[in-house]
Amino acid sequence: MATVDTTPDGAPARLTPGDVVPVDSGGQAELAHGAHEQPTGLANAKLAMWLFLASDCLFFGAFITAYLLYRDRSVSGPTPQDLFNIPFTSVTSFILLMSSLAMVLALAAVQRGDYRRFRIWILATALFGATFVGGQIYEFTEFTRKGLNLDTNLFGSSFYVLTGLHGTHVIIGIVWLMSLWGMSMQGRLTQGDSERVEIAGLYWHFVDIVWIVIFTVIYLLPK
Amino acid sequence: MSEPTETTTETATEQGAGVLTQTPASGTGAVDLPQGDIEYRLHHAAPSLLPGEVIAHPDPIQYVIVAVVLSVITGIEIATSYLDGDIPTGLIVTLLLVMMVVKFVLVASWFMHLRTDRHVFRRFFILGTTAAVVLYAIVLAALHGIVS
Repeated sequence: MATVDTTPDGAPARLTPGDVVPVDSGGQAELAHGAHEQPTGLANAKLAMWLFLASDCLFFGAFITAYLLYRDRSVSGPTPQDLFNIPFTSVTSFILLMSSLAMVLALAAVQRGDYRRFRIWILATALFGATFVGGQIYEFTEFTRKGLNLDTNLFGSSFYVLTGLHGTHVIIGIVWLMSLWGMSMQGRLTQGDSERVEIAGLYWHFVDIVWIVIFTVIYLLPK
Repeated sequence: MSEPTETTTETATEQGAGVLTQTPASGTGAVDLPQGDIEYRLHHAAPSLLPGEVIAHPDPIQYVIVAVVLSVITGIEIATSYLDGDIPTGLIVTLLLVMMVVKFVLVASWFMHLRTDRHVFRRFFILGTTAAVVLYAIVLAALHGIVS
């Protein structure tokens, strides 16, 4: 079986998938970025992001439930059957899915110190996200043109609030990614700052999985 | 001269259970690597652990494979939605929900690295998603009759 050397403090010099990591007597795995380790053995920023994402599940869950509750209760049109363009939304959904791939490739690049590829992938992620938002704006414009406004009926209210909330999350994510890209361009984002990229990535992937649910529940499930 | 001691090591498995193994300590502190194209992995894999992780991230090529699987499932989802009227609605709903859950789990475990992170992060996320599903299922069940 192949082996790799470790640094003098015992941490593997270069980890690859599936590597085993020395565990000290307290059961805490040694971390390459020890400066960020807390007494709990967990990174505070990452822990905070996971707690935020857990609470955001409940937040989106409330609006998805409201949509399901009101979906077939509108007394006047237009209805989802009149408006939804599944092929178009499928393409934008696919683009958002691919943005998640670009995000993990950006993280992998910054972790190995390949800053040029990191900037390419993080920019690609933001561009995919912007394309998705552009598609959503186009969809909203079309729906409005066909007579569906926020106050038209229950479907309009619950649909615009849910998808608009998700779109807002995507826009915040794009701003976050562009700030990382800007920091990298100025040389202020190094291999040691991988955790920042990881946390931004957690947010971005969460936005993606929320859309996985929205796409199936709102657009694909039979009416 | 003292005998070389053994170092306890831990790996996270796909099932989520940590596996403890013993490797002899040596001057270089060697660690085991999985079988496979070691040369490729050494040049392409993420080089270090981030806080909270117990094993290294997947290869970029593994990320691409996951993305291809997600794309295929999405294609099947869309095709399934067009079968409305041809097969029972209940079957369509079941198939779509199963595929949605599979995609959700794939992104969370591979792209969000829940496979390789400390289990406490996984517990937080599972708690959040489970609480959301249970809470809103109850709300839907309770209010459905009232609203209609």
